[in-house]
Formats: sequence, structure tokens, C-alpha cells
Amino acid sequence: MAARTFLRRTDTTWVQVTPEVLDTAAADAFLRTGQAGGVVLFVGITRRFTHGRETVKLSYDAYVPMAGQEMRRLASEAAQRWPVHRACLLHRVGAVPVAEASVVLGVACAHRAAAFAACRWLIDTLKAQVPIWKQETYADGSTEWVEGQG
Amino acid sequence: MTDPAPRSSPRPAAEPVAVHVLLFSVLRENIGQPALQVDVPHPASVAALLEILEARYPPVASYRSVLRVAVNQAYAEEEAPLTAGDEVALITPVSGG
Repeated sequence: MAARTFLRRTDTTWVQVTPEVLDTAAADAFLRTGQAGGVVLFVGITRRFTHGRETVKLSYDAYVPMAGQEMRRLASEAAQRWPVHRACLLHRVGAVPVAEASVVLGVACAHRAAAFAACRWLIDTLKAQVPIWKQETYADGSTEWVEGQG
Repeated sequence: MTDPAPRSSPRPAAEPVAVHVLLFSVLRENIGQPALQVDVPHPASVAALLEILEARYPPVASYRSVLRVAVNQAYAEEEAPLTAGDEVALITPVSGG
């Protein structure tokens, strides 16, 4: 049976892939440090309507151990590019009901500009690189594996 | 791992390289299996494996141009060599987030 969870948590970086509900309050708490004056938290939410089609169910498949390793790599690359004090990268897998968080990415930096830039880079790069796939089930009963732009 | 070759055969035929191929999302669904065991003739590479899979599984052929491959949980180039027991994942365009 393939692993369904990945967790690596240090004092400064928290990476997790899990079928459980993502805890944004815990992510916020993790990112708080006296060194960082700016915390940017991106929460990706499953959406009901895409291009006019109604989604009734969303599900994420992942190559869990590699997804976790790639997310760790992104955290360390972000820390090389920006002065990141803390980062968290959490992704949910399996069924995610509409309006729940599928991804939580947070960055804590001394100043907001770096925090915004690093967080933006993390979500953009995660969407292109990390082996996770979204399947939509539409109101008409059809299903579709969404293919990213790479 | 391998038995020592008998002294009388200085150049034993190289064994095919057995690799474990993982499938996800649309490929798993279209091929109907989560994983495949594939023997790749020596010398084995990612490109050689893809050629075999493409011939055997039409869904692989249809995604070939956008497919990325990971070997032992890291993205790999097509020229990358394969060794016995490698875990190879076929990665169609990702859509996490």
C-alpha cells in the first residue's frame, strides 16, 4: 500500500502531505517568531465553479513521498532566494469537499515584500513541479483529471 | 547481489533490468493498474523504458510528449540510466495546489 502521508517538521520548516483537514491556525502559529515582521499565508480552497461548470467533488492524487521531497526542496530553495525565517507547506490529498483548504503555504520574513514574493513563488512552483493531481467530479456526473500547464 | 559468474564464461549476457513503474491519476485510470513491473534490456535508460511502455500501453503513447519521469523520487532526464529495483514514476502534467 502506497504511503498516504508525509511529514517533516523542524523548528523552521513544516512540510506535510495528508488526507486530514489542514489546520490554518496551526500553520499561522508555527510561522510566528519574533524575528519575522511579516507572515504571508496562502490558502488554496477547492472551488465550486470552474469555467461555468459546477464541481460537486474534488479529489487529489499524489506520489506522496516524492511530493513531500519536492516540497522540502522548494522550502530550501525559497530560503536561499529570500530571507525566510520560517516556512510551512501543507497539501491535502484524497477527497477535499468544496470550500475546504487543499493547500496551505506560509512564509515568515523580517519584512512583507520578501514574504509576499517567497509565498507567491512557492505556490506557483508547487503547481508546476510537485507530483499531485486534481480530479474534478462535475454536477453532470462526469469526471476529469485536471492537467496543469507545466 | 548477483552470483559470481562462472570462470568459463568471461562475458555473461547482461540480465534485463527489472524496474517498478508507478502510475498516477489519468495514466493509472486509463491503464487500469497502479504499478507495472517492467524488464528493460541492458543497458537500460529512461528513454528505453518509455519506448517499451509506449508500445505496450497506448495511454503512455498519447501522453509521451508531456510526460516527465522520476527515478527514485527525483525528476530524471531521458538519458538517465536505470538499475535493477529502481522506482520509476510516470508524471503527467501536475495540477496540485
